[in-house]
Amino acid sequence: MDDIKRKYVIPGDVITTGPYRAEENVHLYGDKIIATTVGISEIFDSGVRVIPLTGMYVPRIDDFIIGIVKSHTSLSWELNINSCYAGILPAQDVFGRDFNPKVDDLTSRLKTGDLIAARVANSDRSRDPLITIADRDLGKIEEGELLKISPSKVPRLIGKRGSMIQTIESATKAIITIGQNGFVVVSAEEPEGLLKAIEAIKMVEEQAHVPNLTERIQQMLGSNSE
Amino acid sequence: MAAPIIDDLKKKKILALLKEGQRIDGRALDEPRQLTIDTGVIPKAEGSARVRLGDTEVVCGVKVQPDKPFPDLGDRGIFICTAEILPLADPSAEPGPPGEEVIELARVVDRGIRESGMVDLKQLVLEKDKSVIGIFIDNSVTDYDGNLFDACSYASVASVLSCKIPKYQYNEGTVTKVDGEFTEPPISTIPVSVTMGKIGNTIVVDPNADEWNCMDGRITITTNAAGNICAVQKGGSDGFTPEQLIQCSKISIATGAKIRDMLKKAGRS
Amino acid sequence: MGVKKTDIVLLDDKGIRCDGRKINEPRRIMIKAGVLKNANGSAYIEFGENKILAGVFGPRDVHPKHLANTDRGILRCRYHMQPFSVGERKNPAPSRREIEISKVIKEALEPAVMLENFPRTVVDVFIEILQADGGSRCAALDAAAVALADAGIPMRDMVSACAAGKVADTIVLDINNEEDQEGQADMPVAYMPNLGKVTLIQLDGVLTPDEYEKCVNTALEGCKLVYEVQKKALQEKFFGEES
Repeated sequence: MDDIKRKYVIPGDVITTGPYRAEENVHLYGDKIIATTVGISEIFDSGVRVIPLTGMYVPRIDDFIIGIVKSHTSLSWELNINSCYAGILPAQDVFGRDFNPKVDDLTSRLKTGDLIAARVANSDRSRDPLITIADRDLGKIEEGELLKISPSKVPRLIGKRGSMIQTIESATKAIITIGQNGFVVVSAEEPEGLLKAIEAIKMVEEQAHVPNLTERIQQMLGSNSE
Repeated sequence: MAAPIIDDLKKKKILALLKEGQRIDGRALDEPRQLTIDTGVIPKAEGSARVRLGDTEVVCGVKVQPDKPFPDLGDRGIFICTAEILPLADPSAEPGPPGEEVIELARVVDRGIRESGMVDLKQLVLEKDKSVIGIFIDNSVTDYDGNLFDACSYASVASVLSCKIPKYQYNEGTVTKVDGEFTEPPISTIPVSVTMGKIGNTIVVDPNADEWNCMDGRITITTNAAGNICAVQKGGSDGFTPEQLIQCSKISIATGAKIRDMLKKAGRS
Repeated sequence: MGVKKTDIVLLDDKGIRCDGRKINEPRRIMIKAGVLKNANGSAYIEFGENKILAGVFGPRDVHPKHLANTDRGILRCRYHMQPFSVGERKNPAPSRREIEISKVIKEALEPAVMLENFPRTVVDVFIEILQADGGSRCAALDAAAVALADAGIPMRDMVSACAAGKVADTIVLDINNEEDQEGQADMPVAYMPNLGKVTLIQLDGVLTPDEYEKCVNTALEGCKLVYEVQKKALQEKFFGEES
């Protein structure tokens, strides 16, 4: 098992020197590998990278995300995906190959303000990322409360092998859908469960770097249960 | 500022909760958000305050300077209130000259304070028709979460209550400032503005940004310490019934009294 | 303009300046990261009597579209003074001085900000001067750099700024308002501390070549001190008590 050295870094910090590969959020200056964002640097025997603790969502192919419909043309919907680029959902993805812009009205399926569970189909920097909902688990989200957390905190909210999210879901009986882009939808039958789940999610976001977070969340969730 | 797109689910939730008499952040219909007022935050200005109303934040500064009076008003000082939404306050706020919304905001805040007679402008004359004291109140919104009318008004009032008027001497056309000598501003009442939004047929006090985006209409009613109404402004595209107008005035008087105490306290510290 | 204080002593014979500082002593500096709710990144700085708020949005869509660059993101910067920030009330409309400082600050940050990976976007930096004292452009830059890091904008290095100057024939660090008005030279400098590059330098006044060199070095020492405060601000927000 590789020994991963970790360190807190800010932009400009020299993480190490030497023949390492520069991976995400670092840059090479001479033989120095320098952090470019606030985060946690990791040196493994092949490369160096920084896990950012802040910043917008950067779309990656196959990421599961939640999007909000911003607007549409006759050929596609434009989505807010919590990134610097809008996501594009082509009409064909929803209507199929027979899509005819003269006949098929986009607003009959999705309109401005709708939430969708989706995947990033294609992402190259020269154009806006392409989004798809052509899959069984994807599509319009009919109910639930939308929260926004920093995308850098998503791994913490999911937890190791889903442990954190399962803890919250089972204690509150809520269903929580987490987009890699930091949009999270929470729905629950009981309003108290909903409020507790939302509180827990906000707590994870605020205290992501605090040790023993899992225990604190469990305590908070357990304190008011029957 | 462009109207942001509120997601449909949130709007539906706000409307559904209101049918039960509840609000999206758990407040009662007539309950304003938490209000904190800090004065003296800009020591170099003659008066200043930072107000947080929920997540809305405004920094206000008062500059006091000698000036020429307005042509027909040579027997009173100058009192001008402005407001600016700083571009860092919201993603849709743009730098540049104020648009109609911000101009309305500034004028409503200005009128609410001026019409109450809070500052006795007749006591701010150095030489009739020639030289008077000008009080310039500038509100800078630094974080936007709805209801700038009340946040800017409270910041302006707190700044004026806590400001110090320098001593000036007028001598044959020249005005000199006497260093180190100050007087309290001539205050006769404390105006308090209360803004209410109408969503469907429900009136809510101090709407936050989400509620602001769902409102069909809004009304700002300012009262003075005697419990009289000194300014009203209705905005938005829907109408209020006469009964709602009366209801709103009663809410403003009741809510205003509590906030007046907070302003008084902040002005003294 | 206020009363001209002809009786202040800029530097006494014990080497003490008009505000009690020694020749190489900077004013008090405090920086807090992440102070605004809506901005993507933000910072508040108190540098002497300067009180400055910086907010960052982006990378985001550029409006109007014709300003967008298809190869890389662009940086926009606005340095703006509140009407109540100075002795005599300032008109809210941008002055020529503010426009020049906005440009100079943008060019001081550009070498540090990495926007190659964000074509067709803009990073907006808004700096609001709530209260001005001497050296506000340096303090503004210091807050802007922290706000950019807070927003997660990729940067090659931090940018740290501090001014030095000549007062009573002596090179001193970090000029205050009186020293700016009554002194002989004012040199603001911005520096990328790890890459060792100066990204802003201006001079107001006359210096001999030796004084010039001494002034640059003095300012750079100030920049390094500021860097430590910027680091602390980010560490406090993101890393909790650890550092």
